[in-house]
Amino acid sequence: MSKKVCIIGGATTPFDYGPTGFESIEGGAAECVKETRADLPDFSLRDLDFMIYSHFSVHFGHQLAPEWIIHDHLGLVGLPHFRVENGGNTGGSALYAAALAIMSGHHDVIGIVGWETMDSVSQSQGSEFIAMASDTRYELMVGGIYPIYYAAMANKWMKDNNVTEEDVASIAVKNKNNAMDNPKAQWYRTEHRYITIDDVMNSKLISYPLKKYDCCLMSRGVAFVLVCSEEYAKKVNPDGYVTIDGMGLSSCTIRAGDRLNYPSWKERYGSGYPEMTEFGACRYSAEQAYKMAGITNPLKELDFGEIHDAFSTSEAQIYKALGLADTENIAQFIRNENTTMHGQIPMNPGGGLIGYGHPVGATGLMSTIECFYQLSGMIPKKHLSKETEVAGAECGIVNSHAGTGTSISNFILRRN
Amino acid sequence: MPQVIVMNKKKKKFAYEPNFTEKKDYRPAGVKEMGLSFVGHEISDDRLNMNQFLHYDQLYIIRHGWNSPFFIGLLDGKILGTRCPNCGDTWVPIRTHCWNLDCNLEKTQWVQMPLSAKVHTWTVAGWSGRSSLKRLPIILVYAVIGDSKVAIANELHGISPWDVEFGMPLEIVFKPKDERIGAITDFHFEPADGWKPSPMNKEKMRIKKLVEPVYEWVKTIK
Repeated sequence: MSKKVCIIGGATTPFDYGPTGFESIEGGAAECVKETRADLPDFSLRDLDFMIYSHFSVHFGHQLAPEWIIHDHLGLVGLPHFRVENGGNTGGSALYAAALAIMSGHHDVIGIVGWETMDSVSQSQGSEFIAMASDTRYELMVGGIYPIYYAAMANKWMKDNNVTEEDVASIAVKNKNNAMDNPKAQWYRTEHRYITIDDVMNSKLISYPLKKYDCCLMSRGVAFVLVCSEEYAKKVNPDGYVTIDGMGLSSCTIRAGDRLNYPSWKERYGSGYPEMTEFGACRYSAEQAYKMAGITNPLKELDFGEIHDAFSTSEAQIYKALGLADTENIAQFIRNENTTMHGQIPMNPGGGLIGYGHPVGATGLMSTIECFYQLSGMIPKKHLSKETEVAGAECGIVNSHAGTGTSISNFILRRN
Repeated sequence: MPQVIVMNKKKKKFAYEPNFTEKKDYRPAGVKEMGLSFVGHEISDDRLNMNQFLHYDQLYIIRHGWNSPFFIGLLDGKILGTRCPNCGDTWVPIRTHCWNLDCNLEKTQWVQMPLSAKVHTWTVAGWSGRSSLKRLPIILVYAVIGDSKVAIANELHGISPWDVEFGMPLEIVFKPKDERIGAITDFHFEPADGWKPSPMNKEKMRIKKLVEPVYEWVKTIK
């Protein structure tokens, strides 16, 4: 029987872009740890027995093995450490690695530090760096950036599912407006305004059907999450700890065009899935996580989620992959405002990537932290009001997502 | 690839060693590898923050190895695919080993593909990476070439961005021979002969409205 995995604390720096951030990467990590320590006075850095670092692109920092700088700076020399890199799912994958280490019983208290500094190059160069996680031999020079690949997938998905530009725009509006209650969110700190569907529809074309406000933000930011055994959780945060009751990790092709007839998907789900439109790795990893957590009806049993809205369209595609809706009712599911703060299953109350920001290596951890805050009753302390609190939430889902759906993880978190 | 043992006077070699004889250099004039160099800095007026500007320029060698016939094929104006001799699955982009687990990573065979394809899905880009900005707006399609089991991404030219349709027939058009570099950009798609766009509709009007400012903006890029 594997050991129970708990989350007992965590924090991010403010997410931002350009020279307004205060931190260096190691300084930011130190501030995240200090905020976590302020929330958890009984936690000591001496209790850590493993550190996992979560960072996507060494291109941005122009520094190989930057985790060595952070680890040293935190005073942790001697502790075992390594870095996890798995595209946009780097944060989720680092959490997965930490959970495995706790489950095995080999480690007891693990810190995860994630970060990205995407403002070290121009926006268009930064987009190109990220696109180097496409197959550069075939796709980089003809697409050039990830939003184009996502737009091509979403264009067909929206036609196949009768979802309109306005439908997905409502998701971007929701997440940016949720971010207005979150002082660390990039949208709050930069553009700082409530928007409407018209604002999204009138924002400039990125790649049809995506406009600027349908897309997440490029960011700098650091995050820290504290993962541990239940014995340690009971000692340090007996009233506020959260358990990881289910988790799943799955993969799909790097080039989206290669998944049309992929044999292993055909074997698992039959012909025609995931096509170029559905996130098969999200579906399969969610199925694993649900099974482990004993969830049979996610729409009823999940209270909320923090999911990977790199684009408004991908959030909608994720709803389907998580089994919250199907081809018949996905459009109505969005129009019924099921995922707004007053809906049945609020999604991204923290603002998501569209509102909070997307410093890749920190992103999945940010989603985890927001989910943890909700379940441990910390939202009134961390957000500006209770408007983005999912009152009485018992169970949330964290979703982390890479490539064109190339690696996806899902975690079921429950209040203790 | 058979293992070739080359004997020469100096020493024995135990691996195949290609002899690169056909060389071309089309590096733009004035581009030099500088390696790492700091090229400037700025300091805030309160002297609390410093930004330093680092330039890094490095030549990479992309060794195509077993995938090379595809890229050499592009230079020759051909689209080469691969096919599994066991199950018959065919691919462009190519796979040198079969993806069917029952085929046990069977080595595939090279096949010449037709220069025709069909749109699987598409988008019209109004923003892109640094190297592509001046070509905007770009129509990117994922298209299936011949009996390939996968779709390949490339640009669609010769059509207004709002006229692209799912399932439309395409032909593959190569750049003139002397402009080819053995990269995916050596070819693009164009609508097949005789294909006519459908009449203007609401979605086409919407795309037109979104794309028009892109043409204007691109004119201002230096």
